[in-house]
Amino acid sequence: MSEALTSAPAKRKLSTKPHSVADRVFYGLARAAAYGAIVLVALILVFLLIRSVPTFAQQGIGFIGGSTWNGSIDPPVLQIGPMLWGSILIAICGVLLAVPMSIATAYFIEFMASKRIAAVATVIVDLLAAIPSIVIGLWGMLVFTPVAAHWASLLNKGLGWFPVFASSTKSYLGTPFIAGWIVAVMIVPIITSVAREIFSQMDRDIINAALALGGSKATSFFGVILPTASGGIVGGVLLGMGRALGETVAIYYVLNLSFDINWVDVLENRGGSIASVILSKFGEATTQEISALMAAGLALFTITLLVNWVAAWIVNLAQPWRR
Amino acid sequence: MTDMRVSLDPGNLPQLPRPATEPWKAKNPTRTVKVVAASVIPVLLTVSLALLFQIDYAIAAILVFLPLQIISSVWVGRNLYGKKGQADALLVVFTIFFSAFVGVLLTSVVWSVVSQGLKAMSWQFISQNNIYITPTTSLEYGGVGAAILGSGLIVGLATLVTVPLGLLVAVYLTETRSKLRNTVRTLVQAMSGLPSVVAGLFIYSSLILVFRLGYGGWLGSAALLPLMLPTVARVAEEALRLVPQDLRNGAYALGAPAYRAFLQVTLPAARSGLITAVILGVARVIGETAPLLLTVNSANGTSADMTQPLASLPTYIFSYIHNVNDTSVQRAWGAALMVLILVAVLFTAARLVSRDKTAKKRK
Repeated sequence: MSEALTSAPAKRKLSTKPHSVADRVFYGLARAAAYGAIVLVALILVFLLIRSVPTFAQQGIGFIGGSTWNGSIDPPVLQIGPMLWGSILIAICGVLLAVPMSIATAYFIEFMASKRIAAVATVIVDLLAAIPSIVIGLWGMLVFTPVAAHWASLLNKGLGWFPVFASSTKSYLGTPFIAGWIVAVMIVPIITSVAREIFSQMDRDIINAALALGGSKATSFFGVILPTASGGIVGGVLLGMGRALGETVAIYYVLNLSFDINWVDVLENRGGSIASVILSKFGEATTQEISALMAAGLALFTITLLVNWVAAWIVNLAQPWRR
Repeated sequence: MTDMRVSLDPGNLPQLPRPATEPWKAKNPTRTVKVVAASVIPVLLTVSLALLFQIDYAIAAILVFLPLQIISSVWVGRNLYGKKGQADALLVVFTIFFSAFVGVLLTSVVWSVVSQGLKAMSWQFISQNNIYITPTTSLEYGGVGAAILGSGLIVGLATLVTVPLGLLVAVYLTETRSKLRNTVRTLVQAMSGLPSVVAGLFIYSSLILVFRLGYGGWLGSAALLPLMLPTVARVAEEALRLVPQDLRNGAYALGAPAYRAFLQVTLPAARSGLITAVILGVARVIGETAPLLLTVNSANGTSADMTQPLASLPTYIFSYIHNVNDTSVQRAWGAALMVLILVAVLFTAARLVSRDKTAKKRK
């Protein structure tokens, strides 16, 4: 007995800190990578800021608010107001169209469909999320645009007295309405997967309690499921909105870019999108125009970063089981 | 039933006879007929009305079909379940209407790409390059071979750099107890919303303008890095999180230093999830167009020189999409089908890998 005690291993110092060199290297690498991610975002902001300083100095506040783009005069007037608002308008259209579709799909997958159908639907929705935007753009331009233009003309005929659906151009190709649909197709999978995740992790007891108290499925949906999941769904919607704001090629093909600002007339064939204007002007841009496009990119990145940051924060808050 | 106080001791509970018929399994033919009728009659009625009066399909769907469907479902719901059935019927009608709409949009995208793309597909379309090909050249010549090679090289280099980086970020988020973890996690999630064109602008404004470089394939890989990193880091984090803490503690208790515990215990346990992370990251960037247009440009010939402009699938689609010639549009569809096939293959691979994991778990 005493012999066993004397041959016990020497006492080790207990510590939560890494004590060998190899461990320090291991944790150091991980820390370096994490800081690298932070630095990367900072670098993107810094470089865009450096390149856009000449534009901000020359154009002043009019860069954000004004609606003229003329690079051939001296000094050039380069303003992106209509593009900035156009991006926001399209994102709003897209979100308004996508939210009912996504919540319905998530509800269908989680609460209505049989297990096998739900599994298949989940895979399909995930696959839709992975379809590259250029493929959606190709489909949008060649297949969907004529269909959506037809819907737009019907909307205009039926509801044209309402300001939003009025149209003075009577040409429905290249409208923010179509761009909104395209964006909706791209963000439906994002919102659906977030909403589905929230629905699936929800405490089933409170839903069953609502049903046991005599509520119908509808009352349990509107009275229990939606209020409980609303935080996460709002986060998912904001995530989709961030994607919608930054969408580039797909909108480039279906939208008629115009520096004549279009406030709410989604059925008129003039609209704006920062990401698409960068793509369309970049090819034959002058030095000053490139600086202005960098500034536009900076404005876009700032907005999407803010939207996504808030979204990530809300989604994390609404999913305590992930922490 | 004179004494209502029944003891709750399980042994003393009165044994009730099991009902001979199982009521939940009973079939109610009237109910089935009513539900089927409520779902079929509005469709038939709408189709016949639309054909009879030449109503536009969009108007017919919204102004004829939907109201008819709502009326019939609410009526049947009320008839079968009373007042509660009305609201349920509405919920069901709207859920199915919207989900079906998503399904229709999706099918339309996939079907148009597959049906149009197949017309361009042939062995030489997959293997040849784009030299001497004009928008009017017959589809028997030229193809996306060079573009597939270029896309593979650009995405491959991006993957080589991004995967270790993303994995290390995931390690930082799961294996350390740093206070900055939540900040890093939120930032990585926010980064997933980085507009792809901004990623291209970033490389253009930093590497290309600062070092006066020409367009080149490796610059495209650099532009894809910030787009790929969030996907890899997040999926890898989920995978590492699923490894039970007991496994790590076991390794520590045996005296393993943290890096060996990670490399020999955590990493193998999370292997399939980590492979999924890589695959999803590749799928995320394989179709990115805008960053490549700003950093790689495009080329026609077959080349593996990463310092020169390279052909790639997205820029191939981009260059042919605008032309009005039929053959040119066919080429765009064909290349789109190639991209879609690559994405589908990657996705199937990811699912097979993760299914493998669950199969092992059940054992």
